[in-house]
Amino acid sequence: MTKIFYDHLILFEEVLTELDSYELEPEERSELVILIEENLHHTVLDVILTNLPKEQHEVFLAEFYQTPHSKKLLVFLETQAGPDISAKISQAVAKAKKEILSEIKNSHSRS
Amino acid sequence: MAARKRKPKLNAALLRAKLKLKNQAYESAFPRKHPVAHQFLSSHGFRPGKIREHTAKLIASGALAGSLLMSTGPIINTGTTTSPNNNLANVSSSNLGTVLASHLREILPPVGSWQIDPDKEKKVAKELKNIYGVSATGELEGNRLAQIYGRMGAEQHLPRFPGDSVYAHGQLVEKGITPGRGAWGYFVPSQDQMSPELTQLEKYYVAVPTLYLPDWNTNQPYLKDWYKYRKVVVVNPANGKAIVADIADSGPADWTGKHFGGSPEVMEYLGINYGMQNHPVVLMFLDEKDSKVPVGPLEYNVKEHEIAMKNQT
Repeated sequence: MTKIFYDHLILFEEVLTELDSYELEPEERSELVILIEENLHHTVLDVILTNLPKEQHEVFLAEFYQTPHSKKLLVFLETQAGPDISAKISQAVAKAKKEILSEIKNSHSRS
Repeated sequence: MAARKRKPKLNAALLRAKLKLKNQAYESAFPRKHPVAHQFLSSHGFRPGKIREHTAKLIASGALAGSLLMSTGPIINTGTTTSPNNNLANVSSSNLGTVLASHLREILPPVGSWQIDPDKEKKVAKELKNIYGVSATGELEGNRLAQIYGRMGAEQHLPRFPGDSVYAHGQLVEKGITPGRGAWGYFVPSQDQMSPELTQLEKYYVAVPTLYLPDWNTNQPYLKDWYKYRKVVVVNPANGKAIVADIADSGPADWTGKHFGGSPEVMEYLGINYGMQNHPVVLMFLDEKDSKVPVGPLEYNVKEHEIAMKNQT
């Protein structure tokens, strides 16, 4: 799998475990995983842009676009958005995962 | 022994729909919440949710080398205003660019895929007509450029007459002046023949790769006359800003990776004079019907719009 600098903050094993407790076609599972991860990427970027000063948005995105794996990005964010940015991302991701788990549990077939 | 309770079956379609909805809601709110980031991401055809795919593409293209924190941001200045006609779009005047940009995003292919089919070309022209009221076309009088969507790079000022200097241009002198003349030669043989109209033609010029036209060598006298100062509409799809410009130079060369060139004033107005100064634009001929539209920024006439909106209510 390709690497993104915040990968360690969006581990969603518990969501996958829950998903795998159901019988899903491989294609179905694959599509759901992509959508779940997409949701987490949105969550992370929202936290970053909300906490990063607006004048730094383009600076960050230019680097993120070119080198999404770069560890420099987290250093940059810690300097510009605050040293607790990782904690804020983890917190938001945890909340998003909770919501996704709830969506899974509320998506049972009636039959 | 008690029977083990069976777990209910997951409705994958329902879950997929819910997740898609969440993602769509995020993408819809994004431009309002993070406008600067939205502009950047749109101009690069980059969707945050698809970062994994983007990373995979980077690895595939070997482009992961290098890591520069770019420090320059877009400098978008407004220029003179022009009202092409009274064909008013029914949207807030302040949002015209944003509306056009969001519509173009739906029509244009991702950055890097520069060819647009005729149907999409018509849709782009229709958007320009609806939003800015100008008639633009990819093909005019049987003439067509190799593409209407591509990267525009920064050009320098052109010498307008023998002895012209960059300082005589007055604005954006730091951009320099080309050592040679433009593709059509000097605008006038001497300074005393300059007119305000010609000054504008140099100010808002673009370069298009006429040299690569298939019939350039066989049909040159006609084509040269046809393309000389031919008016075009140029749009930055990232912010919806549009400008009427004229073709006053040929280029850029294929190897540069750029498809069009823009004068310092064109680049500045469109907001593409930052970073590598090499950003996507849409460039179409201005239809003859609108040949009286002067070169320069296509700023919407706010007062005109307000009056029209009042009349509609």
